[in-house]
Amino acid sequence: MLEISNIYKTFNPGTPNEVRALRGVSLRLETSSFLIIIGTNGSGKSTLLNAVAGTFLVDTGSIKLADTEISRWAEHKRARFVGRVFQNPFSGTAPNMSIAENLALAARRGQPRGLGWALNHKLHSELRDRIRTLNMGLENRMDNAIGSLSGGQRQALTLLMASWLKPELLLLDEHTAALDPKSADQVIRLTHEIINRDKLTTLMVTHSMQQAVHLGDRIVMMHRGEVLHDLQGAERARVRPEDLLKRFDEVRRREQLDAAVAEMLRRNYI
Amino acid sequence: MTLLLGATTIGLILALLALGVYLSFRIFNFPDITADGSITLGASVTAVLLMHRWSPWLATFAGFAAGMAAGAITGVLHTKFKINGLLSGILVMTALYSVNLHVMGKSNVPLLNEVTLASQAESVGQHLFHTDGDLNILGWAVGVRDAAMLLSMAGLVSLLGFALYLFFRTNLGTAMRATGDNPQMIRALGVSVDFILILGLALSNGLIALAGGLLAQYQGFADVQMGIGMVVWGLASVIIGEALVGSHRIGLLITGAVMGSILFRLLVAIALRWGLNPNDLKLITAAFVFVALIAPATLRKLKSSPKPSAA
Repeated sequence: MLEISNIYKTFNPGTPNEVRALRGVSLRLETSSFLIIIGTNGSGKSTLLNAVAGTFLVDTGSIKLADTEISRWAEHKRARFVGRVFQNPFSGTAPNMSIAENLALAARRGQPRGLGWALNHKLHSELRDRIRTLNMGLENRMDNAIGSLSGGQRQALTLLMASWLKPELLLLDEHTAALDPKSADQVIRLTHEIINRDKLTTLMVTHSMQQAVHLGDRIVMMHRGEVLHDLQGAERARVRPEDLLKRFDEVRRREQLDAAVAEMLRRNYI
Repeated sequence: MTLLLGATTIGLILALLALGVYLSFRIFNFPDITADGSITLGASVTAVLLMHRWSPWLATFAGFAAGMAAGAITGVLHTKFKINGLLSGILVMTALYSVNLHVMGKSNVPLLNEVTLASQAESVGQHLFHTDGDLNILGWAVGVRDAAMLLSMAGLVSLLGFALYLFFRTNLGTAMRATGDNPQMIRALGVSVDFILILGLALSNGLIALAGGLLAQYQGFADVQMGIGMVVWGLASVIIGEALVGSHRIGLLITGAVMGSILFRLLVAIALRWGLNPNDLKLITAAFVFVALIAPATLRKLKSSPKPSAA
C-alpha cells in the first residue's frame, strides 16, 4: 500500500524560475490497485511519480510504502520496493550489456550485490523462458547487446525487469509515449498481463485517454501540482474518453478565464 | 634482444596501468587524471617499504592499497562534494606530488641493493635455469634477470587480467559496468551509483599504483617525476588494444589492453632506437591519442558524405 500525505515540492525556490510543482498532494493507494494519472503538461504528474521514486526529496509531507516511511530515502534505497519503467526506452536498460546481463541485474533489484556470479545456468534458463513469453524472438538473442534492439523491444524488456521481483509498487511514466503505435499496443498488452497476473500495485502516468479508460481501476487528474479529480468506483466505471477530454477542456477554459480576469483587473486598476 | 625483452616487460607492467585506465575511461567514462599521481604513489610507497626491509610482496601490496586510497579520494570528491570529475582527479594528482615527496623524503629512491620482486625473480630464475650468467635462447644471449622478470610479469598480468575478467561477471562487477553504461537504470535497480564509482576508481588506481610499484622494482628506483603523462600512455594502450581486438566483449578488451600496452612499448623502444628524441615522446604520444580519438568519427563522416558525382 502506498500512502502519500500532503507532499510539497518547489523547484528553484526564491529565484525567477521558481516552480511550485507539487502543492499538497495526498493519495492513498490500496494494495493491488492500479491508478492512472492524467493531466496537462506541467500539471505535476511526472513530478509526483519522481517524488515517489526518489529522484528528488520532497520539501514537506510523507510518503509511506509497505508501512515504511520512505520520503527521506535515497532513490537507490527505494528500489527495494519500487520497480520502474521510464518514458525514454533508452533509460531503462544498459545498452552495451547483453539482454541476459540486463535481466540478471534486475533479478537482484534492491538486494546486496557481492562476488557471486551474475548469471548462472539456472537463472539463464529462467530468463530465457520468461523472455520467450514476449513472443519477440529475443530468447535466441540473449547474449546480444540491448543497444541493438528497437525501442518497443527495450521497453518490453524494461517492463519485465521492473516487475521481475514483484515490487511493492510499479511506476510507469508514460512508458509508451515514445513508441510507434504498434509497439505501444504490444507494450500496453504486456503491461496489462503482468499487472493482472502478479496483482501489482501500480501508478501509471499517461497522455492517452484510451489507456486511461481501458487500463486501471482509478483515474486521478492533476492540475498545477494538485489533485483536481479523483475518479473511483462507480464513477470510474462509467467514464469514457470523451468525459475525460471534457474535463481537460474545463481546465483549459478555467486557465483562459484566469488570464482574462487578470487582464481585466490590470486594465481597470493599474 | 635485451632491448625488446625489456620493452615487453615494461609493456606487461604498464598493462596494469592500461587496465586501470580502461576501468575509469571506458567502463565509467570518467576521465581520471589521478593516475599520474597514483602510479608514482605506488612506486614510492613500495620503494620506501622495501628500503625498510619489508617483504617485497607486502611492500607491493601496500603500494596497491595506497593507490586504492587515492582513487577513493577522487571518487569521494566527485560524488560527495559534486566536484567536476576531471578537476577531482587533478586535485588529487597535484596533492599526491607532495605526498610522494614526503613518502620518499627526496625526489628519487634507488633500490639497487634491496630485496625486490625483481631480485627474487632473478634468484628463482638462476635456480631454475642453473646459471647466473646469460641464457642462450635460439642463439640470442639473454640475461637471467630479464628472462625471469619477463616470465613472472607475464604470469602476474595474466592472472590479474583474468581476475578482472571474472570480477566483471559477478553481481558487483556487472553492476559496475552498468553504472558506467546507464547510471539512471542501475540506480532504479537499487545500486548506489556513488558507492560503485568510488569503488571503481579505487580499484582502477590500485591497479595503476601496482604498476608503479612493479615498475620501480624492475627499473631499480622510484622517482617523483615518473608519473607524468602516464594517463595518456595508458589511454594509448587501451586504444591500440581496442583496434587490435575490434570487439566489445569484455574479455577481449582486457586482452586487448594488455596487448596494446606491450605493442605500444615495443613501438616506443624501436622509435627510440631509430633515433627519436626522447624529449618528443610525450608530444608524439599525445598526438597519437588525438588522432586515435577523432579517427572513428572522421572515417564515418568520410564514408557517409555523398561522393561528388562525375556528371
